[in-house]
Amino acid sequence: MSRGFGLGRPGPRASAGVVWAVFRARLKIITRYKGAVFLESIIPVIFAGLPILLGAAVAGGEQNAANNFFAYTGTTGRTAADFRLYMLMGSNTFMVVTLMLWLIGYWVRREQETGTLEALYLTPAKRFHVLAGVTSYTFIRALIAFLVATVLGALLFNVNPLEGNFLAAVAYLVLGIPALWGISFFFGALVMRIKEANSVIQLLQWVLAFAMGVYFPVTVFPFLLRVVAMGFPPTLMNDAIRSTLLGIASIYGPWYVVLGLMLIAAWLVPLLGYEFFGWTERRVKRDQGVGQF
Amino acid sequence: MARKTLLEYSRYPVAFGALFAQIFLIILLFVLTTVAFAGGDQRTISRFAGAMGYGFVVNIILSFTLWEIGFSIREEQVRGTLESLYLSPANKFSNLVSRIFAVLSITVLMCLGGLAVVSAVAGGLPVNNVGLGLLALLLTTSGFLGLGFVFAGITIKLKETAQILVNGLQFFFMIFCAMFYPFLALPSFVVDDISRWIPISYCVDLFRQTLLGQQPELGVSYAVEWVIVLAFGIVSPLVGYWIYHRIERKARTDGTLGEY
Repeated sequence: MSRGFGLGRPGPRASAGVVWAVFRARLKIITRYKGAVFLESIIPVIFAGLPILLGAAVAGGEQNAANNFFAYTGTTGRTAADFRLYMLMGSNTFMVVTLMLWLIGYWVRREQETGTLEALYLTPAKRFHVLAGVTSYTFIRALIAFLVATVLGALLFNVNPLEGNFLAAVAYLVLGIPALWGISFFFGALVMRIKEANSVIQLLQWVLAFAMGVYFPVTVFPFLLRVVAMGFPPTLMNDAIRSTLLGIASIYGPWYVVLGLMLIAAWLVPLLGYEFFGWTERRVKRDQGVGQF
Repeated sequence: MARKTLLEYSRYPVAFGALFAQIFLIILLFVLTTVAFAGGDQRTISRFAGAMGYGFVVNIILSFTLWEIGFSIREEQVRGTLESLYLSPANKFSNLVSRIFAVLSITVLMCLGGLAVVSAVAGGLPVNNVGLGLLALLLTTSGFLGLGFVFAGITIKLKETAQILVNGLQFFFMIFCAMFYPFLALPSFVVDDISRWIPISYCVDLFRQTLLGQQPELGVSYAVEWVIVLAFGIVSPLVGYWIYHRIERKARTDGTLGEY
């Protein structure tokens, strides 16, 4: 801290300390709820299992389901294992997206409810550093969920993600995270504004599931909806991961187009999200204050 | 208490609307997935959409019963009003049931809307024996109330962890009681070793097959399914409330009711 009464501003070391303190606090809290961590790792496997079971029952066999599915969606995958991995990766990516949005939105809500959000605003710490702490925590948690779910799903569905380029898929996942942070800032702002946002976040989760093509590629949508869905960063991330692992053609084009789009999203979306968060925050502070919930 | 719950809902209209929309989206996602698997066979689509739609009705009632009772107790804990509520002379049973009254009324509307969506996407749903189907649903709801009471008790005891348990059980029931697909979608050993031992499976099967006008899938006659569902509907709330009462009493004796 420098200077005197009321003018104190945290220096770089103190700012890093803020990020670390928030990150550590969130991790410490979640270690109290090991069941939650376990559950978020098996939910994607369950989500993948539902369409696999459903498909086998509807089409009268898994290979038939895979054939019908790939023919209907115009995807290049062929075997039942491709079909299982397609569903597993869609569900895992969906879980990552959901976690990122949910954890940041829920963090704002929890701070509101416990009455600590206003106190947080009175500290000299910059909001950016507090958010950096929370987002770092969400990143670690989402990555753990993704990896554990992939291992569990691979064992349960008898698929081998390592046959494809798994490291490149994880790299795409990591590259997609900043864009998710950006979207989660939008979510955080929404929660701050409308308060009881559990239902809204849950709704948006399912909108996301639709838009990012968790169970089928967005190419099955009508033109306008497809364009909107394809402009959505989680769709891009999901498609990049699937196409890398399964060796299928990306709906966006060659790999360098996918990579370029992901870099743009990783740069642009967090900036827009953070700006929106700041704008909403100022409005809330001006209107009724951040303490109300 | 029911009025208070409705009042709370009315204070968050966006959340309320989002809840409606969310339900429709989930159904739509699964119905569209079915369409992708069916290879254009309209009869298969309609049959599976029916199984999915009616299973969804049971699922949504179960979810809301488990969540609403347990979660509202949790909210009272977090807000610090649970202890004071228990110091009031209000009847404890009414206090619990009233929490679910409002949400169940709303659920009925959601179910109707959800079925309309499925029907629209799948090109019509088979509807048979509506009266019997509603009776089966009524008994099922009564049975779920018992589970809700147990979870209210568990929430008092386990606090935050109870929500994870509810979440986990919701998925467990969703999969093993075949709520979003017919039982034939499950491997036979799962049906034999797990599904058949869960009364909720019979609730799903009875309600669904009655409305679809088909034979039960769980390998027993309609009469046996009716007996199981009737017993579940009567015994479950009694046992559930007894368990809740015991946990609540212990928490009050230990002085941990208000802790969260």
